[in-house]
Amino acid sequence: MTARLNQRVLSARDLCKEYGTGAGLVRAVDGVSLEIEPGESVAIVGPSGCGKSTLLYLLGGLERPTAGGVRLADQQLERTTEAKLALLRRHALGFVFQAFHLVDELTALENVELPALLAGALPRRARERARELLEEVGMTDRAEHLPSALSGGQRQRVAIARALANEPLLVLADEPTGNLDSGSTTDVLRLFDQLHANGQTLLIVTHDERVAATADRLISMRDGAFVSETRLTGGTARTLSALTGLDG
Amino acid sequence: MGRLLLIARLALGDIRRRRLQSALLVVMIVTTTSTLTLGLALHRVSQSPFEHTRAVTRGPDVVAQVGSGPDSTRPSVAQLAPLRHAPGVAATAGPYPVARARLTAPGASVAIEAVGRDAAPATIDRPLVVAGEWVHAGGVVLEKGLADSFGLHVGETVRLAGRRFEVAGVAVTAAYPFYPACLPALVWTTRADAASLAGRQPLGYVLDIDLTQRSATDAFLASPAAGAFQDATSNEPSALQAWQWIRTDDYRLIALNQKAMLVGSWLLSLLAIASIAVVVGGRMAEQTRRVGLLKAVGGTPTLVAVVLLAENLLLAVAAAIVGLIAGDLLAPLLANPGAGLLGSAQSPRPSLSGTALVVGVAVAVALAATLVPAIRGARTSTIRALNDAAHPPRRRPLLIALSARLPLPLLLGLRLVARRTRRTILTCASLTIAVAMVVAVLAVQHRIQLTDREQWALFAGAAVGARATHVMLLLSSVLVALAAISATFTAWATVIDARGSTALMRALGATPRQISAGFTAAQLLPGALAALAGIPAGLLLYELAGGHLGNATPPVLWLVAVIPGTLIAVAVVTAIPARIGARRSVAEVLRAE
Repeated sequence: MTARLNQRVLSARDLCKEYGTGAGLVRAVDGVSLEIEPGESVAIVGPSGCGKSTLLYLLGGLERPTAGGVRLADQQLERTTEAKLALLRRHALGFVFQAFHLVDELTALENVELPALLAGALPRRARERARELLEEVGMTDRAEHLPSALSGGQRQRVAIARALANEPLLVLADEPTGNLDSGSTTDVLRLFDQLHANGQTLLIVTHDERVAATADRLISMRDGAFVSETRLTGGTARTLSALTGLDG
Repeated sequence: MGRLLLIARLALGDIRRRRLQSALLVVMIVTTTSTLTLGLALHRVSQSPFEHTRAVTRGPDVVAQVGSGPDSTRPSVAQLAPLRHAPGVAATAGPYPVARARLTAPGASVAIEAVGRDAAPATIDRPLVVAGEWVHAGGVVLEKGLADSFGLHVGETVRLAGRRFEVAGVAVTAAYPFYPACLPALVWTTRADAASLAGRQPLGYVLDIDLTQRSATDAFLASPAAGAFQDATSNEPSALQAWQWIRTDDYRLIALNQKAMLVGSWLLSLLAIASIAVVVGGRMAEQTRRVGLLKAVGGTPTLVAVVLLAENLLLAVAAAIVGLIAGDLLAPLLANPGAGLLGSAQSPRPSLSGTALVVGVAVAVALAATLVPAIRGARTSTIRALNDAAHPPRRRPLLIALSARLPLPLLLGLRLVARRTRRTILTCASLTIAVAMVVAVLAVQHRIQLTDREQWALFAGAAVGARATHVMLLLSSVLVALAAISATFTAWATVIDARGSTALMRALGATPRQISAGFTAAQLLPGALAALAGIPAGLLLYELAGGHLGNATPPVLWLVAVIPGTLIAVAVVTAIPARIGARRSVAEVLRAE
């Protein structure tokens, strides 16, 4: 825990990602550098197609950078084999996707226990942990439901619970409210707020200003590069109740 | 007209886009139809060459022989005399003297009967000389089956009872079964040479009989004259031989091949249906978006179904034609009616009805496999299809709960199996058929090994067994190849179908190796079931094809070896799709989903 508090969770240097060649070359991420401290909540905002999701995939080791490097939990991702990257993702990262990406034929409970089973946890322990997490996200009564029987907000809450299954160092969320209505967005924001309060490190990619306003740090991205960075603590960060219009 | 053109254009366009899949579909149907063509060709073979040979050589209706057994009492021509005037007898030829001796030549040593014949052609049983010339003093004519079996040619020297004879000619006859169905083997010499070959042994005699009615052999054999003759020669084997018995002996070899080929071709058809359903199902999984596009631009559900059906029917008809030609070309290699019969040079072609049956089977196989996916494709909602939403996977709670307790590759494999149970059943069925065929071949092989060569030789079984093994090996190779293609396709279809969930697993921390092992495990599970079911199925197949397991069940070790053998084969053929599936870009898949 001390190590988690004292060391940077993630740092990226001059990160680039290019697709195509010649005239068709597209630079999705262009020289991005980033550092995330333990317990910090960082939001990256920008219009569609600016490279936010690609950056998230690079930081999560789901894609290899064309140039630059990412350091996560004391490991340089670009020098790591696919197998080691998988192990790193298993223990250090939790993903939340815009499209939820729940396994259709598994219940909410089975979806949440999946990362623990992949990490080799005992089935009973994985099941207990999944029940705890579903309780944390307020989904206990829906534990045995299939994703098709859940609303968008409920699916995202299950996905968040799944992201926390192996107690990750960092949760990477890609447009977590992108497919949700206003009510569900508030539910999900409340959850992130709660996670942040509990010291969970968060990196959220979004174009929703309400989500971005709950972060400690707000980074704006355009055409694959960071264009501005704002620290929101000390008066600029807004509470969830203010964002949702619930404070006095 | 415009509508037909549109359907043809769309169907051809898709065939061109999916060349590899189309080619594999064609290979499967070609294999099935060519095997069916072979089976039908063999059926025709078994009906014609004996009749042809019999007509050309004026074959007798009944052959009577005295002195044919080693325990014969002193035979005499007089014993044959009553038969010449028996009721129903139209004509006779002979009696001819018969000497028993041993023929030796480099690489050959075989018991023979030398029939002493005149230089002039007889009225009944005129052996047709197919090489060289007819008998002369010091010159022996060999029955063609004998000459071919030992590679003996005109002009070469052989020894009969130690005496040197020149091979004067090679001939065919319908009065005796051809070698090796006929033992001792048959040669013709002059009467004087036959008499001299007998030495101190008594000569036997043979009489060729024509009846007034060719089909009246049963009545003749039941007549008092025939009864008296049989009583007098009761210690001799086959003293009286009807032409139907000779034909049966000739066709023992062909009949086994024919049975194996027909059983094999039906097995292939079953396997092809299972395999084609998997391939077409795989094609459909990739075509969901195309169905959506067709419907979005105004295509009716009927048009969509017709396009999909037309595509596979086009391939089926093309494949059936290729299969017919391939079967026709291959038939002479397997359908040789026997060296001792005429007609072996003719290509045994299936009849018009046979051709129609082959094309019909190909079309039916393609239709049966395409109908359900085509109708499902046509019924899929346009929006759903445009979103490329595949048929939702099934939930199997028991399997999911069980898999949670297993090692990761098995967890992934079992869950992949549980998602698509129908595909798993089809894979299991196709692999079971292939395993059953391999087990049947093992049983045949073991039977041949078990039986003493001499004993086989006595019953002319060695050649029959060897030919049967040859046919069974050919069929099992084809079946195994088809099953391998089918397993590869199933693995590929599984990879495509599960690309989203496996990308997610990797995002959650599964390694590429674990995913690859999961894909392989998903194929090994039906593979293991197929191996277990295929062993009894193969033994049953062997019994159904006329084998007797009672005294020839293959060693347990052979049968047990089939299980790891099947699993290794399945693992090998699914390795490439599994590896590709495990190494796809996670980000790319997740973005597309």
